Amino acid sequence: MMKIGRFALLLLTLSLGMLGLAGCKNETVPLIQTMTDAQHARIGVMTGTTSGQLVAQRLPEAQVQNFDSITDAFAALKSGQLDGVVIAYSTAILVRRNNPEFVILDEKLSDEQNAIAVRKGNDELLKAVDQIISDLKAEGVLASMAKRWFKTDPGPYEEIDIPVPTTGKPLRIGVNATREPFNFVDKNGRITGHDGDLARLIAQRLNRPIEFQDMKFMALIPALQAGKVDLLVTGMFESEERRKFVNFTQPYYANSQVMIVKGAEAAPSGESSFWSGLQQSIESNLLTESRYLILWDGLKTTFVISALSILFGTLLGGAVCFMRMARSPLLSIPARIFIAVLRGVPVVVLLMLIFYVVFASVNISPVFVAVVAFGLNFAAYAAEIFRTGIESIERGQTEAGLSMGFSRTATFRLVILPQMVRRILPVYKGEVISIVKMTSIVGYIAVMDLTKASDIIRARTFDAFFPLVLVAILYFLISYLLIAVMDWGERRTDPRRKLQKESAS
Amino acid sequence: MIRVENLTKAFGQQTVLKGITAEIHAGEVVSIIGPSGTGKSTFLRCLNLLDQPTGGKIFVDGKDLLARGTDVATVRQRMNMVFQSFNLFPHLSALDNLTLAPMHLKKVPRETAEQEAIELLRLVGMAEKRDHFPDQLSGGQRQRVAIARCLAMKPEVILFDEPTSALDPTMVGEVLSVIRRLASQGMTMVIVTHEMDFARDVSNRVFYMDEGGIYEEGTPQQIFDAPQRPRTIAFINRLRNYERRILSPDFDLYAIHSEIEAFCDKHLLFHTARHNLLLAVEEVLELSRPRLGKDGLLITVTHSEKTGDLSATFTGDAAYPNVLDQDAPDALAKNIIRSIARDITFAATGTETKLALLLKTA
Repeated sequence: MMKIGRFALLLLTLSLGMLGLAGCKNETVPLIQTMTDAQHARIGVMTGTTSGQLVAQRLPEAQVQNFDSITDAFAALKSGQLDGVVIAYSTAILVRRNNPEFVILDEKLSDEQNAIAVRKGNDELLKAVDQIISDLKAEGVLASMAKRWFKTDPGPYEEIDIPVPTTGKPLRIGVNATREPFNFVDKNGRITGHDGDLARLIAQRLNRPIEFQDMKFMALIPALQAGKVDLLVTGMFESEERRKFVNFTQPYYANSQVMIVKGAEAAPSGESSFWSGLQQSIESNLLTESRYLILWDGLKTTFVISALSILFGTLLGGAVCFMRMARSPLLSIPARIFIAVLRGVPVVVLLMLIFYVVFASVNISPVFVAVVAFGLNFAAYAAEIFRTGIESIERGQTEAGLSMGFSRTATFRLVILPQMVRRILPVYKGEVISIVKMTSIVGYIAVMDLTKASDIIRARTFDAFFPLVLVAILYFLISYLLIAVMDWGERRTDPRRKLQKESAS
Repeated sequence: MIRVENLTKAFGQQTVLKGITAEIHAGEVVSIIGPSGTGKSTFLRCLNLLDQPTGGKIFVDGKDLLARGTDVATVRQRMNMVFQSFNLFPHLSALDNLTLAPMHLKKVPRETAEQEAIELLRLVGMAEKRDHFPDQLSGGQRQRVAIARCLAMKPEVILFDEPTSALDPTMVGEVLSVIRRLASQGMTMVIVTHEMDFARDVSNRVFYMDEGGIYEEGTPQQIFDAPQRPRTIAFINRLRNYERRILSPDFDLYAIHSEIEAFCDKHLLFHTARHNLLLAVEEVLELSRPRLGKDGLLITVTHSEKTGDLSATFTGDAAYPNVLDQDAPDALAKNIIRSIARDITFAATGTETKLALLLKTA
């Protein structure tokens, strides 16, 4: 009981501390009112978008900081780490809608167009999609869609049902679902938004079922090139640079890059602000549109990936350890290479290599790929942990087993293994915790895990802190749970348990 | 029951066993003695193939152990081993250490295995501690459990690899008593040991190993009382006598003192005898200090149990003078030595000089 109490206290302190930290924002008057004021400002842009180049041209002395997600960029703007964020107009009006303290500067940095990207060489599809866009324009469908999705008033979106076929070869659409109003995840976990509708209309008119693959923005073009998806419909700007890698259809939306800065902020409303803020955060991040379901799904995915990776990694690690310790160089050298390479390559790189290169032409579940990647990484570390454990046991133990008449295998199983397991457990547990945390990068290959779930929520609510703290707590809980299970196992198999029980009674 | 023919073993370039031929009969207790590094343990470990022999043959009940297709594991079940470092399984209690092999290898039901194990623990006096783990036992207790563990497989031979070398002197006795008891029950045993008194009264035969082979073998009386070959004689003498070579004027007098005291303890020399011996060695060394030649000085202390004679002999090279000569300086030291010695002789041959003091013991 004591233990649980202490644990709860720790959690409470942790979360309150972080929320409190989030609460104290420094108030400043807007330093930047026109683009000229931003000469030396710190400007946030999205990795893999055209914004970076635009800022470099227009404000050569400004400091450009690259962000992987819009949410992170605005969190930085909110907390004063950035002076401005350059972003597409479509996104800017959305952010402004949720955050009245932000101001959109009048001057536009570009006149750009959003278009659909198609793999080079896939001219048939390009032509067909081009035709569909022309038709939609002529029928006035595009204009009505723009009205529904690119609106400035804060009310809910008007969603319409676009039926698509359920049989046939699915049209695979690459999206980044943190790009409201182009793409985002609605309360049913469905990809929606302007481009969600557009993609469905295209699928409908091509008479094919639709399949969305949600991934990091910067992973979209590689995925298209690798043939993992057929089209990118996610508010992507066409640019000369991108044309080198993919083909674009005709534009479907004229968008421009604008800068958002922090405006004058209303003073916090007294003492109750923390609790009411917390309440509001829970309301908007968890309850609205049943967003907790997204988190729950993410939690399950993270747990499944972690548990399977650990299982697979442990078994493979055992095999690699056996090879590594073999006397024959035919076995030990490949094992050495395996360990050296897998420990030397960052997991995120390994993950993307496996997804985009090894399994490029195979339609395979990204969860499976994640389990393989993390399992391989875990195996390399586990193998060395096992080897350390085995080598720490004196030769005499093996000799005693052999001289009693046990075979080598039986000696290992009955004498060495039980001793080794107890010796390596502390290090092994550390490795388990580390792999749980490591799984937070699976968003790179379109898996919706806990981190991705929080990204999706943050992309909707633009609340930078609450979802992060919540996710931190949930990761901690997963690790704690796994460790608790192992501790229980450890106590159950402790040879002294019987003895202590007897002496206690 | 075990026959060894021309057994050789080399570790890399170094040949440890140079062709051993021997036979061990059922019911026999064979002790293997000899200086360190002569392959005693290696020989023992080759017998059950913990060390793979380089050449030669080992027959157990006529079956060639080194032949292809011989099930070594089955042979080992009949020929268990007790190690210098006990090698009890630390994750198992004393009782479980005993039941592991019978339950897994002979499929004895747990109930029966535990019954038998408790009997064996009783035999070695450890039944009370059956639920203790190895790290809760003293060295002597661990070794007794290890012996019981050997017996649990009902082996026909037990190989003992220096069973008391890792023990505190106070615990040697309890382990040796257990082995003596097994010997009296007719267990076939091969024991590598440095405990000479024990080897003498427990064995039927003694192998003296030296120069990579069995240098001399015989009954304990033959080996200990009347060794025939020079190295055996020297080894047995060294057991009796105290020898130390001084190589520089900066010798460690305290180490010499404590070694001589240990010698006195072993030979039950007390009071006057001990005092005279220490004094004589110290004074002669002091007198010799400025004259130590390049071969140094060899101190030999001998004591005869029959006559009670205690003598200290100092052997040096040809240039070493008689330090007790009339002309030599330091009259006080000379007088002291003369007062504690019954007889003083000085002999010089062409290559060495020898000063012998026969000391008063009362």
